[in-house]
Formats: sequence, C-alpha cells, structure tokens
Amino acid sequence: MNNTRPRILGIPNRYLTLAIIVLGIFAARVYAPVLPHIQVAPERLSHQPLFTLPVIGPFYLTNTMTAMVIADIILLLITFAVWKAVKSGSLVPQGFSGAIEAFIEVLYNMTESTAGKWTKKIFPYFGAITLLVLVVNWTELIPGVDTIGILEPVVEHGNPIEQVTSNIYTLIRPEGGTDSDHAAGFTLIGFVRTLSTDLNFTVALALISVFMTQVIGFQALGPGYFSKFINISALWNVFNKPMGIIDFAVGLLEIVSEISKILSFSFRLFGNIFAGTVLLFVIGTLVPVLAPSLFLMLEIFVGLIQAFVFGMLTMVFMSLATKGHGDHEEQHDH
Amino acid sequence: MDAAAAKLIGAGIAMLGTIGAGLGIGILVSGAVQGIARNPDASGDVQTNMILGIAFAEAVAIYCLVVALLILFVG
Repeated sequence: MNNTRPRILGIPNRYLTLAIIVLGIFAARVYAPVLPHIQVAPERLSHQPLFTLPVIGPFYLTNTMTAMVIADIILLLITFAVWKAVKSGSLVPQGFSGAIEAFIEVLYNMTESTAGKWTKKIFPYFGAITLLVLVVNWTELIPGVDTIGILEPVVEHGNPIEQVTSNIYTLIRPEGGTDSDHAAGFTLIGFVRTLSTDLNFTVALALISVFMTQVIGFQALGPGYFSKFINISALWNVFNKPMGIIDFAVGLLEIVSEISKILSFSFRLFGNIFAGTVLLFVIGTLVPVLAPSLFLMLEIFVGLIQAFVFGMLTMVFMSLATKGHGDHEEQHDH
Repeated sequence: MDAAAAKLIGAGIAMLGTIGAGLGIGILVSGAVQGIARNPDASGDVQTNMILGIAFAEAVAIYCLVVALLILFVG
C-alpha cells in the first residue's frame, strides 16, 4: 500500500520535500540571499562586441541571447518528440506528445471558431507564437536562471563576495544591513535571463504579428484592404456626402491603432514578465524559504496567460483583418 | 528632498493609474459572470471574450507598471 505513494529515488516525496525545506532554511542562514541590481536593459556577458554593423553599431552577447538558445533547444526537443510519435504510426499519441496534441487541438479549435475558412492561414502564427512565448516565459522557473553567472566589479550598488570553493564565489550581504547603494564591490551577471524581459524580443514578436496581420488582410481582401486606412472612395464622394470626411478620419485613426497594437503587445509581455522576475527577486530576498514557491506558482500562471493572450490577440486581429470593412465597425481597440 | 526619494514617490504616483484598470476588470468580470449565469451554454465564448477584454484593460495597468519600473531602475 505504501508503494502507491509517489517516490523519487526510492524516497517518498514528502520526506524529500521536507529535506529540501530544511536544506533551504540552512542555506538561507549560511549565505543570506542578496537583492541583485535590477536593470531593464539585458546585461552583457562580454566586453568585446560579437560583431559590428556599419550603421547600427556593435552587437554584444547578452544574457537574454543564451535564454533564446535554450528556449529554441527546448522547442526543437518538443518538435522531435512529437515527430517521433507521429512517425511511429500509432494514431493515438501517448504521454508527452499526447499532451502536446491536446494543447494544439485546443488552439486549433479556438482558431476555427473565430477565423472560419482562414484557419489554415492563421493557425501557424497563433500556434508558433503561443508555444514560443510559453516556453520562453517558463524558462524563468528553471533554477539557476538569473542566479548563476559571472561576477563583475562595480563602483556603486556593489556587494562583497566570499569564496565557497576553489573557483566558486558567492555574493554576501554587506555588514550592517542590506543598504549597498554607494558601496564598491561586485555584482552578478547571470548567464541566463528570461528572454521576455528583453524589449528587443517582445517588440520583434509584436512587429511580426502586426506586419503579418496586414499581409493576411491583403491576401484576403486584395488592395481594397488598405481602404480601411486611407479611405479614398469616401474622400472622392465628399461633395455628394460631406460626412465622408469623418470616414476618412476614422481610417487615419485605424493607422494609429495599428501602431498602438505594437506598443501594447510588446509592453504587455515585457511588463508582466519583468515585474514577475522583480517580484521573485524581492520575495526571495525577504522570505528565502517557502514563500518563493507560492510566487513561482503565480509565475507559472502568469506565463501561461501571457503566452495565450499574445497568441490569441494575434489570431483575433488576423481574423478581423480577413473580414470586410463593414464587419468590424464595433471593434474595440484600446 | 533628494533624487532617490523623489524617484520612489514618482513610482508610487505612476502606479495610481492601476485604479482604472482594476475598476475596468471588475466591471468586465461582473458582466461576464452574469452572462454565464444567465446562459451557461455560452460560457466558452463569454470566457474567451472576457480574457481578451481583461488583456486590454490590464494593458493600461502594465503601462503604469512599466513607467514605474523605468523610473525606479533606469538612469
């Protein structure tokens, strides 16, 4: 009867959990956690630029790039697992690939109910963006992200360091409180930092999403799609119907709303995940044991919701773009 | 008042904008729950639209948050 309880390495899970909690309390007493220096721009891992473009300038290896590589590797592994399951010939996928199938199916049904006959065109963007953002957001939860890295000497906001073993050092709290505002010392640059906390990534995704919305709208409606923005026919008939000038102005507002879509897409994802990491830093410093687990659970939820919202908004905007001019008069666009 | 204190106060004032987002999300969810209570069959559609609306309302709060974070951690 005891065998039915979940076990890892032959030890019942509850004893393992208890051991980890005790270890956590012990570790937090020996090396008290330090609030890292928080900055919005991603940190550079090297002082030499990777390469320099003539007009744009130098490119540095940042710690969000390593996160991108990790997320890509995870996505490739998922793809490979599902590909193997499909190749194996069984019609009902089992285990992991079954879970992926269920996930994809939920997304596909949602696209079908909104986009109708354009589902095949729109679904790849929805699925790809949702999966990518989901994996990227959840890399935040891997232990060691933001906490393992290289130590950099800095002039202010520094912390003293202490040697653990021959090559490993750790930041420690300065003597007399946590106020390290003007002290020289060291700061930690993590090898990996969540990709969504880099505005370059979120703006790039938002640009792709909004640009492809225009492309799909053009494919669906032909050149007439752009009369949504610059309403020439309304301007042409302005002497017969003077109110057409309002239609023309509304078209100009549509251009503004497309641009504001880029802003809201990118800042929504960036703001949520960056705030999440800052929250984890602060909670981990204040209450190092037990409390971070609750906030990690919150971060799982936030990461899922944000990935879902990013993908779903892309899908909804794309399917609105495929519909004619009359259909979206009531479209509410922040 | 030194610059650090002004930064903290500024970040606090920036976050006042979340009042609007909170009100908006509250009204939105109340409407959605009433809709689901009247017509439980439509709950799927209502939920999808509710999440979309929440995302729009929440975006405003996120702008405030980004401004507050920029005040605190940049420059």
